[in-house]
Amino acid sequence: MTPDERELRRALAARSGDVSPEFRAHLTGALQGGRPSATAMPAIAVAVVIVLSVASIGILLMARGAGRVLQGGPASGARLTSPTPTGKGPAIYLPSTAQLSAPSGNVVWAFIADSLLFRSTDGGNNWDQRSLPVSQPAVWPEISFVDAQQGWYSESGSPETQCNADGAAIWHTTDGGAAWQQVALVTSPPTGSSGISDSQCKEGLSFIDPNHGFLDAWDDNHRPIIYRTSDGGRTWKGSTLPDPPGFVTQDGGFSLRAGLVRAFGTTLLVSASGMNGGTQQPEMYVFKSTDGGATWYSVAKAPNAANNIALGTASRWLQLIEPDQSSETTDSGKTWHSYLTDYAQAAPIAPDIVFGDQLIGYATVRGSIQRTTDGGLHWALIETPGVFWPG
Amino acid sequence: MGEDHADRIERATAGDGRAFDEMLAPVLDPAFRLAMTMLKDRTAAEDAVQDGALKAWRKLGRFRPGAEWRSWFLAIVANECRTARRGRWWGVMRFAELGRLGVAVASDRGWAERLDLDAALDQLPQQHLLALTLYYHLDLPIEEVARVLGCSAGAARQRVHRALAALRPAMAMEVDG
Repeated sequence: MTPDERELRRALAARSGDVSPEFRAHLTGALQGGRPSATAMPAIAVAVVIVLSVASIGILLMARGAGRVLQGGPASGARLTSPTPTGKGPAIYLPSTAQLSAPSGNVVWAFIADSLLFRSTDGGNNWDQRSLPVSQPAVWPEISFVDAQQGWYSESGSPETQCNADGAAIWHTTDGGAAWQQVALVTSPPTGSSGISDSQCKEGLSFIDPNHGFLDAWDDNHRPIIYRTSDGGRTWKGSTLPDPPGFVTQDGGFSLRAGLVRAFGTTLLVSASGMNGGTQQPEMYVFKSTDGGATWYSVAKAPNAANNIALGTASRWLQLIEPDQSSETTDSGKTWHSYLTDYAQAAPIAPDIVFGDQLIGYATVRGSIQRTTDGGLHWALIETPGVFWPG
Repeated sequence: MGEDHADRIERATAGDGRAFDEMLAPVLDPAFRLAMTMLKDRTAAEDAVQDGALKAWRKLGRFRPGAEWRSWFLAIVANECRTARRGRWWGVMRFAELGRLGVAVASDRGWAERLDLDAALDQLPQQHLLALTLYYHLDLPIEEVARVLGCSAGAARQRVHRALAALRPAMAMEVDG
């Protein structure tokens, strides 16, 4: 063993750790709780599963015929009545995850632990549980809503190595999740007509109005593609994000991944981050489009590549992590300055922040949710629906 | 595959939690070490292993008789780690923690060197880190590394080489085959 190898082994071991007795017991308990199965679900959920399964088997057979495993979900375009939420979901303990979609200041949707969907119409003071189109979300589920009724839900398939290929399925609701209709399905190899390639992993579902939405695609070796739809998600066209000045996309993980697209009038903005093959350092950029997402160009580089960018308006963006580290730009990223905010959190990680309007925004870290009503200066913790704090 | 193991798989596939627990016992430690090395966070690693275990149980019907159970399960856990790291906030924690550590131990040369290597590991693409972890930390033979990565042994060897090159060009190490 060379000294370098010894050093590498030591460094890897320093990152590692042993299973704690508590976790071992917890896992045994979780497994003895039983394998998730249809028998534990309400009858209506079983009916939905059967419908979805029949559709899935049909597509699976087609995919097998083509010699590759299907990536993605069921193909049925039929309107499905979702399983009725019980109102008292399963016990999800924080820390967990929360995805937020805030179509306006008062309407906010929370997707907790990739499992439970909630809606609030009073700025997060009260929540009611809504249904999902699937009984058991698969890989990387995401939500995007444009008001209290209309929204989309997406899942990706099982990504191939280095995200070379991945499926996706997208559903749409117009009644707050009571019923969902699948509007697009991406399989590998492609069998549908959605316009979304099976290449690359899919994420970043974001709709800006009832017709226009976006879905990001990325992998470890190529530039990202942002797909756009103008018919509510039925058909899509892709546009590649160009390398910003100084950024070099290279094989092996040196590529960008885009975030959620935000619209401010006719201006579209999206952040993208990743390892720069030229500098071998992480970078974050903001891209802009003024033609509905057909072409994108980089307009700014974030001062801190490690923090997410919250796009409050077309020109005012924030990077929040801790009070003394936060920064703000009011000129579309041309200049950044220190931003004094009382935002604070226990976890040493940057929050995901969404603004419903210029003043009201929501930040989430590991499932906890904070709200601002003054554009980000002051923040207060609000209830995360459907979860319990340990202890 | 032994008769006991085949019987255990059959019982676990039929929903026997105890049988699956017995299957899990010998692979839990390497799976957790893999997750810890990839995610560097105990809570996240526990989440990845638990989610991986539940998915493995759910997908047990797809497990091919004769296939290596350990590499199959490690591949599932590796995928869970990948999913966890897909979260947009993930890289933030790594860099933020690194900054703090850098200040705290800068005076200790040994620590600083290790921190330097750890920082380089942090910045490796996930596939490179996974390859190094499987080969140098879990000490899997290159053929099993290949099974977890879903590629040929030659490709796995090449990936380890590329990871080493990306990590530190001066590192003098041989990848045995």
